[in-house]
Amino acid sequence: MATSLPAVAIPGQRLGSITAYSAGPGTHVQQSNIYASIAGPVIVDPAQPKTQTKSTLRVSRILQGTSQAAPAAPTKQKHRYNTLPAVDSIVLARVTRVQKRQATVSILVVLDETSSTTTDPSKLASDNDNVASILTTAANPENHSNTDELRFQALIRKEDVRAVEKDRVVMDEMFRVGDIVRGSVLSLGDQSFYYLTTARNDLGVVMARSEAGNMMFPVSWKEMRDPVTGAGEQRKVARPY
Amino acid sequence: MLRANSANTQDFRFWALDVSDNFVYLSTFHVKEIKMMADRRRINGPPGGTRPAVFASNLQSGTSATDRAQRQRQPSELRKIFLKTGLIPTASGSSYLEFEPSASLAAARANPKSLIPPSSALKLACTVHGPKPLPRSAAFSPNLVLTTHVKYAPFAARQRKGHIRDSSERDLGVHLETALRGAIIAERWPKSGLDITITILEAEDDRWWGSAPDSHDASWGMMNVLAGCITAASAAIADAHIDCLDLVAGGVAAIVSDETTGASTGAPKLMLDTDPAEHRSILSACVVAYMPARDEITELWLKGDSSKASLENNDDRTGHEALIDGAVDAARGAHTVLAEAVRESLLRTVGQI
Repeated sequence: MATSLPAVAIPGQRLGSITAYSAGPGTHVQQSNIYASIAGPVIVDPAQPKTQTKSTLRVSRILQGTSQAAPAAPTKQKHRYNTLPAVDSIVLARVTRVQKRQATVSILVVLDETSSTTTDPSKLASDNDNVASILTTAANPENHSNTDELRFQALIRKEDVRAVEKDRVVMDEMFRVGDIVRGSVLSLGDQSFYYLTTARNDLGVVMARSEAGNMMFPVSWKEMRDPVTGAGEQRKVARPY
Repeated sequence: MLRANSANTQDFRFWALDVSDNFVYLSTFHVKEIKMMADRRRINGPPGGTRPAVFASNLQSGTSATDRAQRQRQPSELRKIFLKTGLIPTASGSSYLEFEPSASLAAARANPKSLIPPSSALKLACTVHGPKPLPRSAAFSPNLVLTTHVKYAPFAARQRKGHIRDSSERDLGVHLETALRGAIIAERWPKSGLDITITILEAEDDRWWGSAPDSHDASWGMMNVLAGCITAASAAIADAHIDCLDLVAGGVAAIVSDETTGASTGAPKLMLDTDPAEHRSILSACVVAYMPARDEITELWLKGDSSKASLENNDDRTGHEALIDGAVDAARGAHTVLAEAVRESLLRTVGQI
């Protein structure tokens, strides 16, 4: 195993043998060799001592600038990559329609696992770090999709809104059109919709405007309040970090 | 002096007689019988576009045989390729490809005799949009749904192209789709679609522009265009970070018979990366889409009669095998450029350059 791994790989480049590594995302196996399938930096995830025997080889989609020399001036580089919603991935979505049995949302951005576990937001390198700008501007420029037609559509069914008292859920008191919701993908769903759930404390509405049009702040798990008028509105609120 | 040659239908052909009493073909226009739909109160123009008359005398003087483009490269020497990714910011992946213009173009620019450029070289831009959700009407698909569009710009060829895709453009799109489908790992992108759009800014000629269409004629330039499309699309897909088995490159080889170059033998020869404008007659051509890491061909398009190729004496391949091998060699050459372009754009993004 003297062959050293390349720092970056291009599609079709041989990375290593299947006997030494296991193939992770961004790679594929051909004739017991691991080949890169996307262009990006090669990352070796060390083996988990209990579950795995081999370390995992993957090609990262996140292009992290290596300008470590000047951390004081974080370069605003565009790190483009494509991410599809998969089962269990956390997404931010905008409510487009509220019905009696379900709410329709369009997925704005898929939060990647590394950024959701990192506590320090300044260290996030993905293009999803600028969540505030994603939410204030209607379009996520990295998604290249400016209308709901070009975004992935998802449904939050009535029974997936919260974990307790599922049968007493009134959709109108959970979501309003225009709210930004953090949800987890339940399944890829049918031809047109993904299925989301908000049945966790950290999932639910993260941003909402009141009837008066002001940004509201959360006061409890089911209420948000308008700072100007002081009026409260009902929502399924996500626990703020 | 004009003579009208009227057929049974109301179809008039006008011929002009020049002073030396030879018929010179000017132009033909058909005056179709005015249908009920047409405006009877006005004088209608011809239904299609018209082109200015080209006089045979001009054609003779302006295009002597010495002006003809000649291949300056070795039979196995490829043209230089310019390839760059990420030039279109609104697309998730994009690339721009250009072939090196023929030496005759530089010569004609240095010593201009005519306004007509002697040869053209391929220039095209490719954009990749997606992965994006499938339209509402589409059925569920567990795989990535690939859509390819190839469009010539109206000014891309010597003959203007319309705004609606014609059959040759649709044909190129289908060929490109087969070439790419074998390279993309489609099952990693369920429920999503990928649109690949190629705009050809300058197309290859099918023959030298001054020579008349003859029996050897086919759309040879299209095969070079397809090879360029495959290479450019592959770079754009890599730029969009769509999973691929390998970077798939396109290559062209052809069996050509040039009376001037093969004066001693006169036999048809195998050449790589042929520019149709530089050859008197192309007997057969082949374009492949090839993945070097796996030694696989995803698309093969062979046209013409390859049986007449004269190979080396110790070469026992058939002309057809030699042609495919030549195209694969050309694709290997294009792959080195492709790999370098992808690596360069990657390093540029990572910030190591």
